Amino acid sequence: MRISAPVKMAAQRLALPFLVFVSGMLIVFGKTDLLLYDGLRTAVSDRIAPILQAVGQPVATVTRGVEAISDAVRVNSQNAQLREENARLLMWQEVARRLVAENAELRALVKLVPQDTVQSVAARVIADSGGAFARNVLINVGKGDGVTRGQAAMTGEGLVGRVAEVGERTARVLLLTDLNSHIPVEVESTHQRAVLDGDNSEEPRLVFLPSKTEIKVGDRVVTIGAGGVFPPGIPVGVVSSVSGEVVRLEPYAELARLEMMRIVDFGLSGVLPQTVPPAQRSSGKGAKSAATAQ
Amino acid sequence: MPLAIQRDLAYPTRFVPFLTTLLFALISVVPLNLPGFSVVTPALALMSVFHWSVYRPDLMPLSAVFVVGLLVDLLTGTPYVGISSLIFLLARAAVMSQRKLFVNRTFPIVWLGFLVLTLCAFILLWALVSVLHGATVGIRPFAFQAVLTVAFYPVGSYLLARAHRMFLAKD
Repeated sequence: MRISAPVKMAAQRLALPFLVFVSGMLIVFGKTDLLLYDGLRTAVSDRIAPILQAVGQPVATVTRGVEAISDAVRVNSQNAQLREENARLLMWQEVARRLVAENAELRALVKLVPQDTVQSVAARVIADSGGAFARNVLINVGKGDGVTRGQAAMTGEGLVGRVAEVGERTARVLLLTDLNSHIPVEVESTHQRAVLDGDNSEEPRLVFLPSKTEIKVGDRVVTIGAGGVFPPGIPVGVVSSVSGEVVRLEPYAELARLEMMRIVDFGLSGVLPQTVPPAQRSSGKGAKSAATAQ
Repeated sequence: MPLAIQRDLAYPTRFVPFLTTLLFALISVVPLNLPGFSVVTPALALMSVFHWSVYRPDLMPLSAVFVVGLLVDLLTGTPYVGISSLIFLLARAAVMSQRKLFVNRTFPIVWLGFLVLTLCAFILLWALVSVLHGATVGIRPFAFQAVLTVAFYPVGSYLLARAHRMFLAKD
């Protein structure tokens, strides 16, 4: 089919305003319906996951090389540090053993019904956002591995974030430093409740603290069960700075260098914004029905 | 099928600019986990869009720029899908309007041009995100990513120039 020259020229001239308009409309639609692109995003992530893993292989090799060199350089100081830590941990081990025994005795005494064991699945990070205005990672487990929206993601050190989107083979974890992350927490020693708000910086803020609170640097902060999103007591981080109204927290988990994490299922059904009933969601047309439901 | 695509299919190397840009977009989200390396990585896709807009705009059409932007947004999981498309389209339009300043110039001049473009792009991005979020967001991550992007331009540009010579030399 031949297109006449004037039509072609007009089309070329209109292409830029047209595509700019389309981009703008996409942003507006996404803003009005937060779940609109979930299906598309997870579909793209699922398709691209194998490519990402292939591209990630050589990168991981280089990273390991760099790490090996830096480890070799720091071997002496690191050794001393580890010896010290080991001594401290051995002491803790002693304490823990005593507590386990004591705990078992007390449980037997009060005939406590044991809690359900926690299910967890290990996940590898295959992509991180890397951008200036989003803090999330893509992991290599999805629906098939039992991951569902709202589950907690944690490392051995502490909370990482929560599962925001689930595909067949991949899932996206919203880190607790993201602008859109709001996690109910409490100061462990005083039980003062607050919300941990990410602001894209390395250290998220504690907001809605009761006024005139006696919070100080070094206080441990853990999750609370409010809202049923997370189980209570997962370590989150320590208060790193208090200046006037702004209280910041340093997460225990090393969020800048996440390689592996655990997605933990505490058997709680989260109350994350979800407009579709669970039965419909599981039919695999979640995104479409979510879009029409609103 | 439109004639332009039929012609391109006969010469697969004509897709090199588009494919390298896609590859750059993918690499920018691969986790690096380097000790001391920040969570922010350079905006490699923007780099590639700029490079090809300067040297082979005929092979980096607006539609390709749009698709790459969309893919970047879906990959990075931003809540504002379409924002990178918008920024990339405007960046390409800016390059095209000032193209005579870049063509056949020495590398430092092109780099300077990229610096100006990146600064404008990130200020616009920050303003857009702030408006969409409903409150001003911290500008530091944006500034940091802009600086990182400009700093990495020589490396990215070198790799793209290699691809250019390798696949499109006789074109």
